Amino acid sequence: MDIIVIAIIIVILFSLGSALVGMLRGGKKGSDKMFKSLRARISLSVFLFVFLMFASFMGWIEPNNVLPTQ
Amino acid sequence: MSNQNYYIPHGTYWPVIGSIGISTTFVGLANLMHDVSWGAPVMGLGLTILVFMMFGWFGTVVNESISGTYNKQVDRTFRWGMSWFIFSEVMFFAAFFGALFYARILSVPWLGGADNNMFTPELWEGFKATWPLINTPGAIGQGGTAFSTSFKLVDTWGLPAINTALLLSSGVTITYAHHALRKGHRNALIAWMIATIALGVLFLGFQITEYGHAYHDGLKLTSGIYGSTFYLLTGFHGFHVTVGAIMLTVILYRIQKGHFNSENHFAFEGVAWYWHFVDVVWLGLFVFVYWL
Repeated sequence: MDIIVIAIIIVILFSLGSALVGMLRGGKKGSDKMFKSLRARISLSVFLFVFLMFASFMGWIEPNNVLPTQ
Repeated sequence: MSNQNYYIPHGTYWPVIGSIGISTTFVGLANLMHDVSWGAPVMGLGLTILVFMMFGWFGTVVNESISGTYNKQVDRTFRWGMSWFIFSEVMFFAAFFGALFYARILSVPWLGGADNNMFTPELWEGFKATWPLINTPGAIGQGGTAFSTSFKLVDTWGLPAINTALLLSSGVTITYAHHALRKGHRNALIAWMIATIALGVLFLGFQITEYGHAYHDGLKLTSGIYGSTFYLLTGFHGFHVTVGAIMLTVILYRIQKGHFNSENHFAFEGVAWYWHFVDVVWLGLFVFVYWL
């Protein structure tokens, strides 16, 4: 399950990087690329958050705070 | 502007004022660390000079931009400047995430005897290599005993999840603001910008509340490697959200002044990207500190 979460994070980082390239390029084309990449970035991030909630609800993944405490 | 040659800045006193501000800040900080009474006020003075410099210098640049002084070549230099700034920010957070991964994946397991370190468990009797590391080993010279830092962990589904939802919502609202700007929908743009800033401020409020809870439960900057990485990462992130919210407020002000149009709005793009970046850093924090 960790692999899926990390894979989504890598794609999010890739989208953010792609938006940066668009911003660097500028102009109409660059601006379009930037907006589309950022939109993909936020969509994936919201999906990851919902996925974490669902995976936790299903018991596929456990948060760190269940580890041993004093 | 037809002239596309390299833009030569006019003479300006702002860099000198900036240098005075930085020097004053550090003289104050150095003396503050040595418990000198005038350290704090001098540092405050230095920071005030810096804020004054930012207002003045950025204001000058904004006025030059709207008066049409800049050409395409200047536009490119702004984009490059922003990308170098972003590069330094990425490396900054990479260092702190790197420290977190190093402690979790390498150094703590090594202390517990992982890899070829079969003798390290002998150093501290009863040491358990867990993450979060509750029992931090003491200095060997002081008897080599493990001491308990004793803290309760923050509940992932409490404030951290609420804060993640808040920051992700602000990512959604700034995307709508971006869309509205590109389509020339002025009122929608202003409304989405206000929503983004409000969500950012709300995030900061909850973050302060969470620090209060964590501190009350014994999790401090001194609570071993977990406490230090937790507070350094979340603290610097919170600082970045603060800076981002200030930048968004400035952009909102400039939108109301009519500085941007659907084609030409690099300042908005720079700040929007920065906000998305801060959002992604938080997502990384949420996943790696609270989940994986």
